[in-house]
Amino acid sequence: MNKVIDLKGSILSLTVLKLFSNDIEQTKQALEQKVSQAPDFFVGIPVVLEPEVGNLDPTFLALLVELLHQKQMIPIGIRTEDESIKEQANYAGLAVFSGEAKVKKRPKPEKSDQKENCSGLKSAMVINHAVRSGQQVYAKDRDLIVMGSVNPGAEIIADGNVHVYGTVRGKVFAGSQGETSARIFAQKIDAELVCIAGLYQLSEDILPEYKQGFVEVSLLNEQLNFKPL
Amino acid sequence: MSRVVVVTSGKGGVGKTTTSASFSTGLALKGYKVAVIDFDVGLRNLDLIMGCERRVVYDFVNVVQGEASLQQALIKDKRVPNLFILAASQTRDKDALTLEGVEKVIEDLKEAGFDYIICDSPAGIEKGAQLALYFADEALIVTNPEVSSVRDSDRILGILQAKSKRAEKGEAPIVEHLVLTRYNPNRVETGEMLSVEDVIDLLSVPLLGAIPESEDVLNASNAGAPVVLDENSAAAQAYADVVDRFLGEEVEHRFLTVEKKGLFKKLFGK
Repeated sequence: MNKVIDLKGSILSLTVLKLFSNDIEQTKQALEQKVSQAPDFFVGIPVVLEPEVGNLDPTFLALLVELLHQKQMIPIGIRTEDESIKEQANYAGLAVFSGEAKVKKRPKPEKSDQKENCSGLKSAMVINHAVRSGQQVYAKDRDLIVMGSVNPGAEIIADGNVHVYGTVRGKVFAGSQGETSARIFAQKIDAELVCIAGLYQLSEDILPEYKQGFVEVSLLNEQLNFKPL
Repeated sequence: MSRVVVVTSGKGGVGKTTTSASFSTGLALKGYKVAVIDFDVGLRNLDLIMGCERRVVYDFVNVVQGEASLQQALIKDKRVPNLFILAASQTRDKDALTLEGVEKVIEDLKEAGFDYIICDSPAGIEKGAQLALYFADEALIVTNPEVSSVRDSDRILGILQAKSKRAEKGEAPIVEHLVLTRYNPNRVETGEMLSVEDVIDLLSVPLLGAIPESEDVLNASNAGAPVVLDENSAAAQAYADVVDRFLGEEVEHRFLTVEKKGLFKKLFGK
């Protein structure tokens, strides 16, 4: 009955080693200098190589992999579009990740809102009723509009901005994927917790004057900034 | 067309069973054929409040599990015609109920021509409470004017909107009504209790009625007679109003403000 294995896709956070030189000696020196600053930190960490230069010497990758092993790091792959480097990677036993271009695109639409609006950004999720205790609403990759109140014990989360045309008494999260320009607008905030891009304030830390009327919350210098409207 | 009405609250001890007893009795007094089911398997109370605890031979679980017929288990009320009680089992627990079994009982009651089937929910949000609300067409949310009760009611409202048969089948949502029990305008004025407005604001559910806090409620429970039958009591009048409003009559809300007592009442009244 019990599963023996399970193969699943997963997003992991890896360290990328960018290479700006195709000279192995130079690279070796720079790497040694870096590692000597915090030797323990680098022990056992998986590393993905990303050459920013072409024309790599045929032995470059093999030497670099050897060097990383000496430093107790574990090179697991390489990210490149260059065909010759891909070939080398095969010999060096490194997995090939496709280039960064595609990956970079994702944070972009959130940053340049205006442009993306024209080209069909997901429209906001609209909730027409109150969000009740124990309920959770998540607007993935978009804004969230709640027409009713958010009651104590409820949570509303959006990757974009949050608008509430009632009183927020539960928890509210905007920019939950780390979008620091996300904002929260609410008819009234008496929230248990207000959070933008991971920076939060609890109810008791919110000044009473901001709990009166329509208010906008944004991030300013890594702090939540409340502004009555 | 029968209607299934769940009386629920989330929190315990707020007056669900008292409300179920008085509400079903009130509907029966209006001439409707009413069955009231105690879903609180293992902690049966409804039969006590209805004063029929000595007449329980077969109970709800017996019917659900096919050990008795519905006719055998339905207890006819001695005071009000057209009122029938389906008692909970004291010896079993909530796992004895199944969705299919409950559905069968409710369908059979509908077929037997009951106008209203009142489901007295147990406290909590677990299986018993979810079964009680699953087949509901309407819901009475019983709430005390106090924060924890209001929050639990909010939670159960969320469950009504997500886990009922109507929600799962995408039909018209359950009609929600708020019944505020143990309301004491004096204590609202002194700030010890939430006001009607506060509770409605928090729950955004229309108020069916507020039942004033009253000794009569406890006395009636002890005597085994639904408080609605005690016509002189304010709580009884409030429950009668609740029934009228439920049936669509326009009745002005009472018992929401502090009553100014005259000298005579001060000296001789309660």
